[in-house]
This record gives sequence, structure tokens and C-alpha cells, in this order.
Amino acid sequence: MSAISLSLSGVTCRHGSFTAVDRVDLDLAPGDHLALTGTNGSGKSTLLRAVLGLHRAFTGRIAVSGVEAKGGSGWARRRTEVAWIPQRQAAGRFPLLVRELLASSRNAEAAVRAAVDLSVGGLLDRPVASLSGGQLQRAYLARALGQLAAGAGLLLADEPTAALDFDGQAQVARVLAELPMTVVVITHDRVVADVCGRVAEMAAGRLREVR
Amino acid sequence: MNELGVLLDLPSVRLAILALLLGSLSLPVVGVFIVGLDIMPVRFAMMHVALLGIALGFLTGLDPLLCALVLCAVTGGALTPMARSSAGLSGAMGLLMTLAIAAALMLLSVSGVNANGAFELLWGSILATRPFDVAALAVLAGVVPVLYWLRRRDLALLLHDRELALCSGVAVDRLTLILLVIISLAIASAIRLTGALLVDALTLLPALAARRVGGSLAAMIRWSLVFGLAFNVGGFFLALLFDLPPGPTLVLVGGVVTLLIHAVPTYRKGSPQSCASSSASPLSPSSH
Repeated sequence: MSAISLSLSGVTCRHGSFTAVDRVDLDLAPGDHLALTGTNGSGKSTLLRAVLGLHRAFTGRIAVSGVEAKGGSGWARRRTEVAWIPQRQAAGRFPLLVRELLASSRNAEAAVRAAVDLSVGGLLDRPVASLSGGQLQRAYLARALGQLAAGAGLLLADEPTAALDFDGQAQVARVLAELPMTVVVITHDRVVADVCGRVAEMAAGRLREVR
Repeated sequence: MNELGVLLDLPSVRLAILALLLGSLSLPVVGVFIVGLDIMPVRFAMMHVALLGIALGFLTGLDPLLCALVLCAVTGGALTPMARSSAGLSGAMGLLMTLAIAAALMLLSVSGVNANGAFELLWGSILATRPFDVAALAVLAGVVPVLYWLRRRDLALLLHDRELALCSGVAVDRLTLILLVIISLAIASAIRLTGALLVDALTLLPALAARRVGGSLAAMIRWSLVFGLAFNVGGFFLALLFDLPPGPTLVLVGGVVTLLIHAVPTYRKGSPQSCASSSASPLSPSSH
């Protein structure tokens, strides 16, 4: 696994007639760690979802490792290059075991190892919907670490410490800081922002780098 | 008991038992897919599409039930893009239902085809099962368990959360298309066994009972097969023993058992009771 670059150029995302992300430019070199801050509704999550092709109503250029995703196979390849921790981890309308969630990382062994390190290794046979918010976030972080072990070079994490206690926040911040990958983490947590080399703020869809 | 023996010697009863046994291998699994995709009104939608197919059959001189089967499969597949929208497949079912019934009524009216004749084909009966119906169920009994076994990891992710499946490399659109076609075909086939109004007994009731006791997709599939077999065979033999109409007996057996299973509280850690989506009642189809 090796870190990869992310380049955004004039990216604008819309929800209907509402402009959620407005002409955003950003260049991350391989290995950069960026904390993305900003008020609720400022477009942070939409921007990350656009990188993954989960929000397709965008204009501009989004390139990972210098390549723009085109067509179904292009987006499918993009999703193998990018690990993702969603903001609202799906409790799901249907049972899924923690073991199955970790296996979806494409490196189940690494994900299970990470789950043990993150203190959720004993929950493998529990349905994810029966976990607490904090346990679920740790399980998704373990899955993301499995994705990185499987070859992903960029981690997009959307508020990965929102449901964690202080110790958990510090632990996740340490894990993120030590990752040799490119990382974009949306956070309102100062501890997490402090371990990132770069910090950018979004307001009303516009991005401004503050560190 | 002697009477039961005589009944079991009747070719129509034997064919019905074969159809129910074959149905038990696929229809409960299809029910689990329906619950997972949150498209419980699919039976109503497909009933209306089947009516349109029957009307087309009458109009063209082709086998009306074959037309219904093909149209259901094509329509199910055509719904796939709507799975991407926020309204999802559940909204698509409502749209399909109204469009199909309007088109069917228009066709019946314009062509002068006897509407009662078309509607009658929707009221199936287990004892009127034809070899063609058994053949369709046999195909499903082969295809559905194999599809589940080959794609069980992808299915677990897709039925849990579409975006998680997308980000895990699952070919979501293709798998959704396959599921919708199979669901549509299964419903169209099952309609011939119990009639359109009672088709839930073969699909949804085993799945709903299984959802209560199975904490993973694999466990739900296993339980749904057990419940499906028990409801089908148990209900049918009760109907034969007490000279009751088979369709309603099947539904009542399945419905009462499902209700009882939901009435028993579950206390074990991580039980599927707590796993069921908080936004949807596990018994929501009762509103149908």
C-alpha cells in the first residue's frame, strides 16, 4: 500500500438548485493529512461523497492519483483506492455482523487485527445494529484500516470521533496521525485537527486553507 | 386418515405438494430479499403488472400467464435505476402499481377483452396447479439458492446498506437488477399457487418470522426455509385434514406463527429484535 494524491479543481456540488460545494480547489500530495472543519451544512460531507462518486451531481475535476473516474468501472476502481468512514454509519435495515462488515474491507485479517487494537475485537459476531455509536465508529475505523491494508492509498473520514469518549478520541487521533496514507478527515475535534499537518475550513460551500 | 390417504393419491394433490415443496426452497429466500430491499408492496405492483401481461396475452393470442411472467420479469428489471433515487424502490412500487393497472384497464377496454376473464387468472389455487407452474417453481428452486450461495457476501452488504455495498466493490446495479427480476418472477409464479391476495404466505411470512430469530443474513435464510416449509406443508395438510380452503389455511398458519414469534420477547445480547431497523416495524406488511 502507498499513499496517493488527491486533486480537486473547480468542484461544485449541487443538491437540486442548492449549491452545497462552490468551486473548490485543493491539492493533496501523497501522505498529506488534512483536517476539514466548518459549520454544519457547509458542504464538507458532500465534498467527500463526491470524491467517492456517491454524490454524482458535481462539476469540475476530481482526480485521485491524477486520474478522473469515468463510467461505472472508473468509479468502482476509485472506490478500491479510497478507504471511507461515513458520517452516519448505517445501522442498516437488515442484519449485518461486525465480522461481515470487516470482511467488506477486502482484507478481513487486517481489519480484524485493527478491531482488536481498537477494543471491538470481541464483537465480531454481533449485528452492527446492536453496537453503541462509539463501538460502531471503531468498527468502521477498523474496516477502513483493512481497506488501507488491501491497497487503498487515501482515507476519507467523516467525523470519525463524533461518538467517542475522550480516550477514544485520543486513540483515533493517534491512529490517524501514524497512517502513512493520504488522509482527509472532517472533524470538529481539536485533538484530531492538531495531528493533521494541514487544516482547511469550509463555509457556505467555499474552502479556505487555514494552516 | 383414510380419507387423507385417498386425497394424497389424487394427481392434483400430489402436484400441489410438489409445487409447495419446490416453492419452499426459493420463495422464502425471495421473501428475505423483499424485506431487505424494503419493497413489501412489490406483490401489489406485480399483481397489477401480471394483469397487464394477461391482457396483452388475450389481445395477442399468446399464453396469458406466460405473458404475465415475462412482463413481470422485464418490469422488475426496469425498476433497477430507481433503486438509486432517494425515494428508492418503495416509491417505485407505488408508481408501477398505478401505471400498470391503468394500462391494463385501458388495454382491456380498448381491445374489448373480457376483464373478468383476465382478473380470474389472478385468483390461483394450489389444487389447480399446472405442470407449467411446477416447472417455473423448479427453475426458481434451482436458481435462487445458488444465487444466494454464490453472492451471499455481496447480498449481505447490499441488503444492509447500498452505499456500503458500493464502497465495498459490490456491483450494486447488476445485483439489484438480478434480485428484482427474480423477485418479480417468483411473485408471478407464486400467484398461481395461492392467488394474488395470499401470495405473502409463501414469501413474506417466512421472511418476517425469520427476521425475528436470525441475527445475520445467513441465519435469516436458514430460518426462512424452515418456516416456509413448515407453513406450506403444515397449512396444506391441515387444509386437507379439515376440508378447509388451502390458500387461506396456509396464510392463517403462517400469520399466526409469525405473530406468536413476534410476541415472544427476545433477551439475548445483540438479538435481531434490536437489529431490526428502528424506522420500520417488522410487521409492517400487515398493513397491506
